[in-house]
Amino acid sequence: MLDLSAPTGIEVRVRTPERTQIEVERFFYDNNIVKLFVYATLFWGVIGMLAGLLASIQLFYPLANFDFAPTTFGRVRPVHTNAVIFAFVGNGIFMGVYYSLQRLCKARMFSDKLSKIHFWGWQAIIVAGAITLLLGYTSGKEYAELEWPIDIAITVVWVLFGINMLGTIIKRRESHLYVAIWFYIATWVTVAMLHIVNSFEIPVTMFKSYSWYAGVQDALVQWWYGHNAVAFFLTTPYLGLMYYFLPKAANRPVFSYRLSIIHFWALIFIYIWAGPHHLLYTALPDWAQSLGVVFSIMLIAPSWGGMLNGLFTLRGAWDKVREDPILKFLVVAVTCYGMATFEGPMLSLKNVNAVAHYTDWIVAHVHVGALGWNGFLTFGVIYWIIPKIFKTKLYSTKLANTHFWIGTIGIVLYAVPLYWAGFTQSMMWKTFTEEGQLKFQFLETVTNILPMYMTRSLGGALYLSGVFVMVYNIVKTVKGGSLVPNEAAEAPALPKQIETHGKQHWHRWIERRPVQMLVFSLIAVGIGGVLEIVPTFLIKSNIPTITSVKPYTPLELHGRDIYVREGCYTCHSQMIRPFRDEVARYGEYSKAGEFIYDHPFQWGSKRTGPDLARIGGKYPDSWHYNHMMDPRSMSPGSIMPNYPWLMDDKVDTTITGAKIRAMQTLGVPYPDGYDKQANTDLLQQANKIKASLKKDKLEASNTSEIIALIAYMQRVGTDIKAEPKQAVAALK
Amino acid sequence: MRLRKTFEWKGMGLTTAIALLASANVFAAGPKLASEASNPLAIMLLIVIVALALVIALLGYVLLGAAEINLQRAKDKLYNASKVAQATLVITFCLFSSAVFAADGADAIATEVVSTTINLLSKFSYYTLLSVVGLEVLLILVMLWQVKALLAKEKLVVAIVAQEAKQPIWQKWWEKMNSFKPAHVVGDTGHNYDGIRELDNKLPPWWLYGFYACIVFAVVYMYRFEVVHSAPSTRQEYVIAMEQAEVEKEEYLKHAANKVDENSVTLLTEASALGEGKKLFGTACAPCHGPDGQGVVGPNLTDDFWLHKGGVKDIFKSIKYGVPEKGMKSWKDDFSPVQIAQIASYIKSISGTKPANAKEPQGDLFKEDASTATVDSTKPDNKLAAN
Repeated sequence: MLDLSAPTGIEVRVRTPERTQIEVERFFYDNNIVKLFVYATLFWGVIGMLAGLLASIQLFYPLANFDFAPTTFGRVRPVHTNAVIFAFVGNGIFMGVYYSLQRLCKARMFSDKLSKIHFWGWQAIIVAGAITLLLGYTSGKEYAELEWPIDIAITVVWVLFGINMLGTIIKRRESHLYVAIWFYIATWVTVAMLHIVNSFEIPVTMFKSYSWYAGVQDALVQWWYGHNAVAFFLTTPYLGLMYYFLPKAANRPVFSYRLSIIHFWALIFIYIWAGPHHLLYTALPDWAQSLGVVFSIMLIAPSWGGMLNGLFTLRGAWDKVREDPILKFLVVAVTCYGMATFEGPMLSLKNVNAVAHYTDWIVAHVHVGALGWNGFLTFGVIYWIIPKIFKTKLYSTKLANTHFWIGTIGIVLYAVPLYWAGFTQSMMWKTFTEEGQLKFQFLETVTNILPMYMTRSLGGALYLSGVFVMVYNIVKTVKGGSLVPNEAAEAPALPKQIETHGKQHWHRWIERRPVQMLVFSLIAVGIGGVLEIVPTFLIKSNIPTITSVKPYTPLELHGRDIYVREGCYTCHSQMIRPFRDEVARYGEYSKAGEFIYDHPFQWGSKRTGPDLARIGGKYPDSWHYNHMMDPRSMSPGSIMPNYPWLMDDKVDTTITGAKIRAMQTLGVPYPDGYDKQANTDLLQQANKIKASLKKDKLEASNTSEIIALIAYMQRVGTDIKAEPKQAVAALK
Repeated sequence: MRLRKTFEWKGMGLTTAIALLASANVFAAGPKLASEASNPLAIMLLIVIVALALVIALLGYVLLGAAEINLQRAKDKLYNASKVAQATLVITFCLFSSAVFAADGADAIATEVVSTTINLLSKFSYYTLLSVVGLEVLLILVMLWQVKALLAKEKLVVAIVAQEAKQPIWQKWWEKMNSFKPAHVVGDTGHNYDGIRELDNKLPPWWLYGFYACIVFAVVYMYRFEVVHSAPSTRQEYVIAMEQAEVEKEEYLKHAANKVDENSVTLLTEASALGEGKKLFGTACAPCHGPDGQGVVGPNLTDDFWLHKGGVKDIFKSIKYGVPEKGMKSWKDDFSPVQIAQIASYIKSISGTKPANAKEPQGDLFKEDASTATVDSTKPDNKLAAN
């Protein structure tokens, strides 16, 4: 019964004799498109990781920012995250989907032309994304930084990919859809939903837009998106890949069909709710936070279902794992997936989150997922695909093994110091002296963890060098073989009426209906999104208004755009949590009503530098000026980059009116016709700051960017101070 | 054989009885010890004694059982006289242990009896309790050693048995946990996708029940936090934490000689205090006032002109509360009162040093008058010097 070496194709024909009478069709798999995506994955992997390495070095060696806007941390970091997520893993998804989908459907891709457009369109988006991010065009929302024209391009290319994928599924020769395809379908429909909803923005210029949502709502939508980008871009498609490549590489049957069904539906239904766990203790209403917590906890089992189905598939094949580097990569990938998906829910518990949030602990956590799960799975798949489509053997198994070990050590050296750094720093933040004073200045907590930052860079460099070994190995393999661009295959055509024999599992019904599969997936993921987001928009009590909170002045608005452009949010949060230490260090904890004019919100997710939610009025204008020119002149030992160009570059006052009008469209209550008067007010405020700088012997043009930025910094978090004391106390 | 059995029963009965006795003793002794029972150290030691006694009882039981098995094996399989002798020795050991244990119980009784006559936890009762603990620990070590010796014999036999059973215990346990079935029992779904087949294994039970447990957790959590509000909201947590901190701080300050404020602060002149002040100045003040106090963004602190007066009390006040409208932040949450006094004293000490690049004077000329010259009034030496 369990003779694994039996050519299983024959078995099917024996079981369904009717089918053998159907004429067997001959067709060809498109391997060329797979090859292109493999190359793109490798190329962008190297680029994305190089950007990450640079960013990590900048954190302990600020000179590596080169005093040049496009190479400062605030712009390099989004390039790193976008490149590894959407370029490296993105191309990795397409590589795996284009290879496995054709074979699981017993059909060539629906349209070669669409495949080509998809490939080149996606690469063009990546190039455009990298360039615009480096130039400072950003929407200021993490992992969704790309500006509106690129957002539209992404939507178009994603839809084309969907048509190509669904077209292939519909003209398939296989009666039922394998679990990998369920994951592909759910991925496609959910990513489309997330991207479109989160990217609602109002264009101001060709490359500048404001998020449709503001403050708390923007934060909720953004982290609903951000969390589920992890879920449906980094997890579900890769689970699909795992379900194809792991049993293939191990030559073992999948452990449990039932487990596949349960964990698939449970995973996509529960995942979508868990977004608010990124916003624990923030100004987000408590009920939404609680939902984030409980759905994260419930997520453990469905996530582990995938891991178990992967690892148990290897039952009886563990001897192979010892020898085959591909299986090694896959096993470590699945294990890292298991670790990360257990740690994630633990981090969602409020008491753990209170320690870990805003620290490097989170960075370590996501890199276990990224380097381990996504990276290693991608490597395993590439090592498997390339020899197959080039009809040859891998150039060197030894080199692949070397890559595996370098990569594994790299992950450990990356993650362990950062866990340590995150925990240490958080403890230092929270330490009080017995007299009730904060024991450590913020800067002390930063300089204390710099050695850990250096070790992290070493780990990252090791991991990247492993990738170089792989590139060499793949180049050699490709040279040693020759591509089979159209791989011949044959299978009987799919009968119009799919016949079933005997009693079948109820789930088989939907496995024959891709469109229903898509619709039900959308319903499963739609429920959580709708139930969490809609009440936040409709029920006013979720965001109590504060009368003293007023819209930004035109100059402050420009300053805020500079803040967004320079990616300040990548290191500075603007969200003081209701903790004793944060209130002592930064001031009154943040209230939901303070952010109603923030398009986009800038709460941030990491405190490499201190929180800025109450920075307004804390330091004189001249302090900010000096600090932006050379942070170390004001805070010796600081790791913040210099921003000398803010002094020379001028604010573009020609678009002030457009900005005001856009804000008015979004509901910000500027008086009618204010766009005409805005620049007068702007200059008036700028002259005041100019004069105050002059008192401290500092010269700046009144339209220089530094003045706009200072105006914004001095405004942040100050409105609430105008509110009567009792009113503030009532804002629970 | 019969005799041995009797021995064994006797031993076991003895152990149990003593264990019961010991615990009963403690309970009985409780009320009598009214005065000492409230002594936390005594309570702790008594708890330790009882816990150790339970461990001893357990170990005694295990030992007797193991010895019995060992004897049986020796008799049935080996017919080796020396082994029997050894095993008998073990039993004797056990009985001996029990005997010691009995004495130990008696000890405990003695202790308690004695202690009723003493009001506080005297040295005597303390050392008696301690020696009981020590004795018990020693006994446990001996018994553990005996168990180890017996198990070492067992291993040989277990190895043979294991060979017959083929599967190690952990593997059996693992299979049961995951409800793995042998390949020929598990159904194949008959699915085949590009050569990938799917088995029809059951859901691993621990996974399934874990999932249920998480769902129950979720329901209970939502009920507590969002329905009956029996758990604190994020804002309530904050209030609780602040109250707690206030209590702790008050408690500390009651005992600490750290209660300096702007009214009571005096100029510190000790080198150590000034050194500390200089260090703090370097990290916190230098960015705005310059490393030598020459003034950068903030005013020059070395001249005689002051925006907010230049007495040590005034400087203390400026540091403590800040002058937020001019960009000087309040440092009272960053530094303790003593530290602020050290900084203020250091600033006074660099007055008139005329550093390079000094900023132009700001504010009014300040002279120590009688009311601010706290230095003079509190430091008789200075007063003399001034005179």
